[in-house]
Amino acid sequence: MATGQRVAIVGCGYSHVGRNTGLSIDDHMIQATKAALADAGLSVGDIDGITSVGTEPLNDAWLLGIEPVNWWASGMMAPAFSYSATQAIAAVASGFCHTALALRVIGQQPSSSALVKGAGANHPMTSMLHRAAGDRQFIVPFGAGSPVQWAGMFTQRYMQQYGATEEDFGRHVVTQRYHASLNDDAIFRDEITLDDYLDARYVSKPLRILDCDYPVDSGSAVIFTTEERARDLDQPVVLVESYALNAIRDLHFEVMSDMVHTAPVQTAKKLWEGTDLTPADVDTAQLYDGFSIIVFQWLEALGFCGEGEAGAFVAEGNTRLGGSLPVNTDGGACNVGRRHGANFCIEATRQLRGQSGVRQIPDAEVAVWTNAVGPFAAGAILTRG
Amino acid sequence: MEGRITRMTTTETSTDGPAAEGPMPPLPQPDPVTQFFWDGVAEGELRIQRCQNCGHYLHYPKVLCRYCQSDDLRGERVSGRATLYTWTIAVQPFHPFYVDRIPYIVATVELDEEPGLMFMTQLTDCTEDDLRVGMPVEVTFVELHPELTLPFFRPASDADAKASA
Repeated sequence: MATGQRVAIVGCGYSHVGRNTGLSIDDHMIQATKAALADAGLSVGDIDGITSVGTEPLNDAWLLGIEPVNWWASGMMAPAFSYSATQAIAAVASGFCHTALALRVIGQQPSSSALVKGAGANHPMTSMLHRAAGDRQFIVPFGAGSPVQWAGMFTQRYMQQYGATEEDFGRHVVTQRYHASLNDDAIFRDEITLDDYLDARYVSKPLRILDCDYPVDSGSAVIFTTEERARDLDQPVVLVESYALNAIRDLHFEVMSDMVHTAPVQTAKKLWEGTDLTPADVDTAQLYDGFSIIVFQWLEALGFCGEGEAGAFVAEGNTRLGGSLPVNTDGGACNVGRRHGANFCIEATRQLRGQSGVRQIPDAEVAVWTNAVGPFAAGAILTRG
Repeated sequence: MEGRITRMTTTETSTDGPAAEGPMPPLPQPDPVTQFFWDGVAEGELRIQRCQNCGHYLHYPKVLCRYCQSDDLRGERVSGRATLYTWTIAVQPFHPFYVDRIPYIVATVELDEEPGLMFMTQLTDCTEDDLRVGMPVEVTFVELHPELTLPFFRPASDADAKASA
């Protein structure tokens, strides 16, 4: 078990998620926060810590009326929601604050077709129209720099190293879409076949459009507090059994010398070191699917299957609802939209509360959720309290 | 292998080098730390930063050696030989300059000078079917535009000799 006080998840919420919502980043932050507070049965006066990727926590706290703020953290070069979450967990566990709001708010990123027409010229991740400075002078002139390109290279290397096939990824995509078909909150709900996957266009071969999470405007919020406080609230208690955050290099995926064993390996090791539980105890895994290859890396890093065996593990039906380890039971970010890690924590929490409706895994007691890949990663093991 | 600059045209009908018309390519912004690299490219040499204290190579170039914390770093000519680590076929452009240049092959190669010394590049003079992990490749300098020459890699010439032997 992690050191310090035991930490619980007591509230989860989303903003109005969608394409080109017309809502501001503040709107998404406020909507998600109010939804999480309502879910927890708390008010802003109960919050004394705030962590965020995508907004400025002190601005958010002032806007919301949270004071005093006893812990805050924000991440730019950070593994998305899992950074906010692990900072919040650590702050509550250590006693810096007693109740922390963890946020991930993200606006829809410009599309390729918009970029080539000049959109996003000033966006830090997509600016390609000016002279490329710093490390990017070795990337952008080469026609590289889009995440789909490193993801294509990660996927290609994995396929070459283990003899994996495009069908292996396709079966995973089909399985996730089946889960999404059962989720009212998913954006894509029509089931697809393996042929549909193989007919989908490449964006950076062998990576297909269906291997990519879906860009949306989204706000997500999760509230962490002490176990003691959680026991006084109405929601079933969900406890953080173990959590980990780690980085193995700066943010250059494209020159990693091992693109198969990346930060999830270290994160998984720390997660298991923090608990007496084993992979066999896990009832469901919610694994970041920014790209399909990331799910494969996590399945193997966490020890749910052997190296290079994720494709077979999926093909055997293990990751499908009813299988030995249902994965991404909300449909994953490919189908619910890019909530950048938060949906995995929230779906894990709902499964352990017994609130996943027709997707509910009977008697789910242990869940793992994870986020990111490559240079950095984080995640947590959760248990029903 | 080195010292030769290939001109790459955007259409088969062009005969007199890369057109200066159309969208400008994304250009590098050299700085005092990286100038040696682009000077090398202009002279048809691949130069990689090397720590003069411990001998490790560093790419991308930095102001400090991450292996020994020395700041005695210099660009050194390397062999230009490498092995192919992985690749992807770029079929979707993210910059106006590359709209008419898809598909192209983005690759990461491991330079022969040091295990784990990775270099991201494009592959040229080959097709997707030629590619396999671990294949020997060599640098070739390609003029994409009058203002942009880049070190690309292609299948090593001696590998071709072995294959046909």
